[in-house]
Amino acid sequence: MLASFRYEEQIVDRSPGKAAAEDSDLFRHIVESATDFAVFAVDASGSVVAWNVGAERLTGYCEPEILGQTGDLIFTPEDRAAGAPERERSTAARSGRSEDERWHQRKDGSRFWGSGLMMPLRSGDGFVKIMRDRTAQRLKELELSESEGRFRMLATSIPQLVFRSAGDGTRTWGSPQWEIYAGLSDAKSRGFGWLDAIHPDDQAMTRDKWRQAQQSGEYYAEHRVRRHADGEYRWHQTRAKPIDGTAGEWVGTSADIHEMRTLQDRQQVLLSELQHRTRNLLSLVQAIARQTVRSSTSLSEFSGHFESRLAALSRVQGVLARTDHGSIKLEQIVRAELEAHGADERVEVGGPDVELAPNAAQALALALHELATNAVKYGALRQHSGTLSVKWDLRENDRGRLVKLDWREAGVSLPPGPPPRKGYGRELIERALPYQLDAVTKFEIAADGVRCSVELPLGGMAT
Amino acid sequence: MNRPADILNGARLLIVEDEYLLAQEMADYFENLGTEIVGPVGTVARALDLIASSRIQVAVLDVNLRDERVYPVAEALKQIPFVFASGYGSELEPDVYADAPRCIKPIEFAALARTLGEQIKSSE
Repeated sequence: MLASFRYEEQIVDRSPGKAAAEDSDLFRHIVESATDFAVFAVDASGSVVAWNVGAERLTGYCEPEILGQTGDLIFTPEDRAAGAPERERSTAARSGRSEDERWHQRKDGSRFWGSGLMMPLRSGDGFVKIMRDRTAQRLKELELSESEGRFRMLATSIPQLVFRSAGDGTRTWGSPQWEIYAGLSDAKSRGFGWLDAIHPDDQAMTRDKWRQAQQSGEYYAEHRVRRHADGEYRWHQTRAKPIDGTAGEWVGTSADIHEMRTLQDRQQVLLSELQHRTRNLLSLVQAIARQTVRSSTSLSEFSGHFESRLAALSRVQGVLARTDHGSIKLEQIVRAELEAHGADERVEVGGPDVELAPNAAQALALALHELATNAVKYGALRQHSGTLSVKWDLRENDRGRLVKLDWREAGVSLPPGPPPRKGYGRELIERALPYQLDAVTKFEIAADGVRCSVELPLGGMAT
Repeated sequence: MNRPADILNGARLLIVEDEYLLAQEMADYFENLGTEIVGPVGTVARALDLIASSRIQVAVLDVNLRDERVYPVAEALKQIPFVFASGYGSELEPDVYADAPRCIKPIEFAALARTLGEQIKSSE
């Protein structure tokens, strides 16, 4: 039937000549064998007048059934309703050609993406259309754009800064988060413009890592990125990998790890501080042991004294640990020591709120321990007639602010004989507190019990 | 005359240590070796006073004194040899003191005496 369509006269602009017949034949062969192309012709109203094998393959309509029917059948119903076939013909008539890419519909209702070109017949009473099936390519494009859409959605909704670049680190795209965080527009960030937001000390390393990434196939760097909002350089961890199936495109993220880095640094300092405190504490224990050895006449006396001193040290360490080595209330220290020695309502305790530095709290606690131990052995905490008051107040003199603490025992009948020799407890009060805390101390054994006063400078040390 | 105990006999040792009991222990130990003790003191200011007013041949310096570090004392000692006593390793020291001799707390007095003796010897 194709023979009824005179290609040589209708489509091809050629001069009539002796080779015309062969040309016509050749041309028919081409059209018939071009099975990958749908080639068909319609008259001015759109009725099909010619239909090749390629058209049959693509649309499912065979030549006999479509001839005389409207060629608009291969448009989708919605495009037909919208007048797409008429527009195609009028464009072709007006400008000599009409290119068209759209979804078409086969005889069985399934759809294909047709990419075609329509041209008017020279006779002016119809059109020829050549069309290719590009469904596969179209689907791939759609898939890509869908995955591109998903990528952008993800890239723009996560807190990390996302970028795309070539394998050498030259950037092709930065997410909006990046633009906001770094204060660099996408345009300014392209190439190596993004390096402007990296800390000057980290730039060389950052670029160097891109060179390494080309060997290892993976980018990893920790560097400081300037936060535009406040100008702070914050530690980021940046990773990137090449994307499969692309021509060397990489995609990467930068995550803010500043808090983590800061915590790690702090942990390092704390560990070393802990080590230091532990060793200092061991030194102190060692010194207490030596002192106790010196003042003990037997092993059992040593072990009793040593254990009770260690217990006092551990009590004050416990209080310190609970306050995370911040300041400690004087009252806490006093009460802890008295309670450990079974003090009851006969003991009066009181004074204003006073905060002590850790070293002052520890030294004072050890001294109070000696006073309390002594009171239990010989004084107010042993005898029913005895009373004890531990009071303090704040005052100010030429040495600055200080707290004066008074330990007063009363109603105690001292054992006959000479007062006990100056021991470790008195040494702590009379010598250690002045040495360590610049305290002024007084210790006396009055007729009815021990009196001790400690003036402790607060807030910095006196010289 | 090469044993540390001999070298320290009659030497003048500055002790800077803020913990009274430790300072006292140390002073007792070295006095038994015949060392003359300068101090002990527990603050930078007092140590600087002693350096300005006393003859000192060697010093032991506790690194952490209450709320201050002992480094100004180390600096004021100039050519006088010293040994740090510290609960820290060297990792927190300023670089200039990274190689300074040190004894880690708790201090073994015999080891401290050896180190002090070596310092005196090498400074002679």
